[in-house]
Amino acid sequence: MLYQSQKIAHWYFRIALLLFGLQVIMGLWLAFNYTFTVPQSIVDKFPFATARAMHTNLLVLWMLLGFMGGAYYIVPEETGTEIFSPKLAWIQLIVLVVTGVVALIGFIFGWTQGRPLLEIPRPLDIVVVIGALIFLFNVGMTMFKAKRWTAIQGNLLGGLTFLAILYLFGIPFYQNEVIDWYYWWWVIHLWVEGAWELVTASIIAFILLRLTGVERHVLEKWLYVELGLFLFTGITGTGHHYYWIGAPKYWLWFGGVFSALEPLPILLMVIDTLDHVKKRKTKIINPFTWTLLIGGAVFHFIGAGVWGFAHTFPQVNYYTHGSQVTVSHGHLAFFGAYALLNITVFYFAIPKLKGIDRYNPTLGTIGFWTTTSAMFLMGLTFGISGVVQSYIERVVGLGYMTAQDYLRTWMGVTFFLGLIFFAGVLIIIYDLFFIRPAEEEVL
Amino acid sequence: MSQKTAFRIFIIGTLASGVLFLALTWDTHRQVETLSHADKLSPQVIAGKRTFEKYNCNDCHTILGFGGYYAPDMTRVVQRVGEEGIRFRVKNPERAFADSWRKMPQQHVSDAEVENLIAFFTWVGNINNGDWPPQDSKKRMTRGEEIAVAAGGLSPGAAVFQNRGCMNCHSLHGKGGTFGPPLDTVGRRLDLERIEHYIRNPKSINPNAKMPPQKDLSEKELEEVTKFLAGLK
Ligand code: HEC
Ligand code: HEC
Ligand code: HEM
Ligand code: HEM
Ligand SMILES: [Fe+2]
Repeated sequence: MLYQSQKIAHWYFRIALLLFGLQVIMGLWLAFNYTFTVPQSIVDKFPFATARAMHTNLLVLWMLLGFMGGAYYIVPEETGTEIFSPKLAWIQLIVLVVTGVVALIGFIFGWTQGRPLLEIPRPLDIVVVIGALIFLFNVGMTMFKAKRWTAIQGNLLGGLTFLAILYLFGIPFYQNEVIDWYYWWWVIHLWVEGAWELVTASIIAFILLRLTGVERHVLEKWLYVELGLFLFTGITGTGHHYYWIGAPKYWLWFGGVFSALEPLPILLMVIDTLDHVKKRKTKIINPFTWTLLIGGAVFHFIGAGVWGFAHTFPQVNYYTHGSQVTVSHGHLAFFGAYALLNITVFYFAIPKLKGIDRYNPTLGTIGFWTTTSAMFLMGLTFGISGVVQSYIERVVGLGYMTAQDYLRTWMGVTFFLGLIFFAGVLIIIYDLFFIRPAEEEVL
Repeated sequence: MSQKTAFRIFIIGTLASGVLFLALTWDTHRQVETLSHADKLSPQVIAGKRTFEKYNCNDCHTILGFGGYYAPDMTRVVQRVGEEGIRFRVKNPERAFADSWRKMPQQHVSDAEVENLIAFFTWVGNINNGDWPPQDSKKRMTRGEEIAVAAGGLSPGAAVFQNRGCMNCHSLHGKGGTFGPPLDTVGRRLDLERIEHYIRNPKSINPNAKMPPQKDLSEKELEEVTKFLAGLK
């Protein structure tokens, strides 16, 4: 840590970690609902729908807090100054966390916008927007006052601004269901396959810059190529969600072709990370950071690139759309790309914020391998469920519940794997809260 | 490659895709008017959409394939279970799904709200969306039926008869259920048109009919099975 104001990031990270734990508990409850019969009296009070809203909103909240904390950590080092206003950063954190907690409690009492992933009620949306504006203002002013522009911080700010603007498209009430879903995807797809990728690529470039000693202009060059490819394929690639909503037929072509190219920039990111690590000019201090960085890049490619590609063509999507195949991809992609990125940032920054140079990686390593293996297997069991479901319900034409009967065992296995995953998450949370310096080796 | 070239890739890639996307968005707005029958968006349909959101149905049920995957898709629910079927299930889920291992909550949806929901689902069911979902498609026969035709040399109508539950109650050549009469010679008793009506709505032909209306059949399936039965003389 070089600047005092970077300290704020620590609280963003800690709260994000706690919310992560809570998110996974909700996930377990969802899988439980798929496996066992929950009695009517409980379903009436705490239905699957409410738990799902909590699971997904916690996900988005903790990841955005992680990104924002990451930005508060990175921007001082990139600009070479303190944060414009640490006080605003605190206010913003409180505003967002309080909004999140109110929203989660509200869900239990049926206060909801009622649209998947965007359940936060409209009045609270306004507060979220205010929180985001404070954030952008604070980070923007820091850069503006420092008058030092780098591609990394520029793209980080650009990605975060893009992210905030897209959120606005999720707020209005759309009378036409087709138009509603059209803009719903501007938030969901253009986030995860657009804005969030910009943020991710910038953060990874920053960490590589700090750790490898590879020259800035080389890193920034690749950063631009990746971002160009991400946006070129990702923007029009939104069309892979417009096949069956009542939009014109040409989306089958535009969506299919552009989204099929989306794995390319992800692959480039893997290659380029490996390349920079190989050509590094500095000594490795914490090898675990590399495990995380490379593991994350590879998992990002598998979950988003390979799993996304598998159902992105209309001929396949016609049968798999809105089935457990989608869930399989959603988990592998979100975990591989953004959960691991956040965990990487936490392991990169938290020891430094505590003044620890070299930390003991034992628990972290156990946590990493437990979560990644369990999540990968969950991706497979969700995936098998999805293929079975698509076949029985959509190809053979037996009813929905008949197909669900065939999935029960697989969802049971998913629940069990989820318990193992949860254990890994607890280890990571514990480790990051109480991380210790490595004992000096006896030479 | 120089940094300048890289930057140019970034700008051109982003702009090209962005402009294309915005142009397609403009055209989509134009075409959705007809594809979705936007002229039929009555206040009741819109009120139904609000009800659907108020009770967060969408986090259990998908609609147009989006949402929670915990319960059946709502896109063609009117065609699948009928208006009365929706009324009963939404008002009395604890009874409708008493025997099911998966429950739907009793949310005390008011009568007016249920009517609005039905208007909304009816409107959604008519969106011209590329014939998705496949299980509710009226144009296709299910793969089970196609396989039966291909493998057993059955006529398409016989395959529907075997696969769509008629055999639970009816028999042919001594095989099948006994709740309903054997249908070996039904073509002698009823003509094509009467059979078709019987299957969709037994009470329209026989006021005392105990046979439940066969609403799950697609138009194509109904046509094939009717042709098949009418030929049994
Ligand atoms: C907690 C999850 C949940 C919520 C919330 C929910 N449902 Fe359901 N619903 C179910 C389940 C599960 C079934 C299927 C049960 C079965 O067939 O055994 C179902 C079945 C139905 C069916 C019959 C569909 C068919 O094809 O057989 C209709 C209609 C329906 N729900 C409408 C609604 C409406 C309208 C709402 C909102 C007011 C709603 N549901 C909210 C879980 C839910
Ligand atoms: C739940 C049991 C049940 C199922 C399932 C069923 N039926 Fe029936 N069906 C009956 C009964 C009982 C009758 C006798 C008249 C009555 O009570 O409706 C009948 C009568 C008929 C008749 C008129 C026969 C006559 O001689 O008047 C036809 C035609 C027929 N069914 C066709 C079908 C077809 C085709 C299917 C499948 C798509 C089917 N049924 C499924 C119970 C069933
Ligand atoms: C890190 C990046 C990504 C993340 C986090 C992600 C996440 C998700 C999620 C959560 C959904 C389900 C949304 C819903 O309906 O509720 C989804 C759907 C989908 N994704 Fe991705 N995705 C990513 C990248 C990709 C890529 C690169 C592709 C294609 C190559 C892709 C293809 C698809 C397709 C086709 C669907 C629609 C599934 C359906 O029809 O139900 N995704 N994605
Ligand atoms: C114990 C671990 C977990 C379990 C058992 C679990 C289970 C589930 C279940 C059952 C659903 C509901 C799917 C449906 O509607 O039918 C769901 C949704 C979702 N979960 Fe998880 N989850 C877990 C952890 C995670 C993690 C770590 C992430 C992200 C990093 C995540 C991201 C999501 C997303 C994005 C959705 C929405 C999917 C979609 O719309 O397609 N989950 N989860
Ligand atoms: Fe997408």
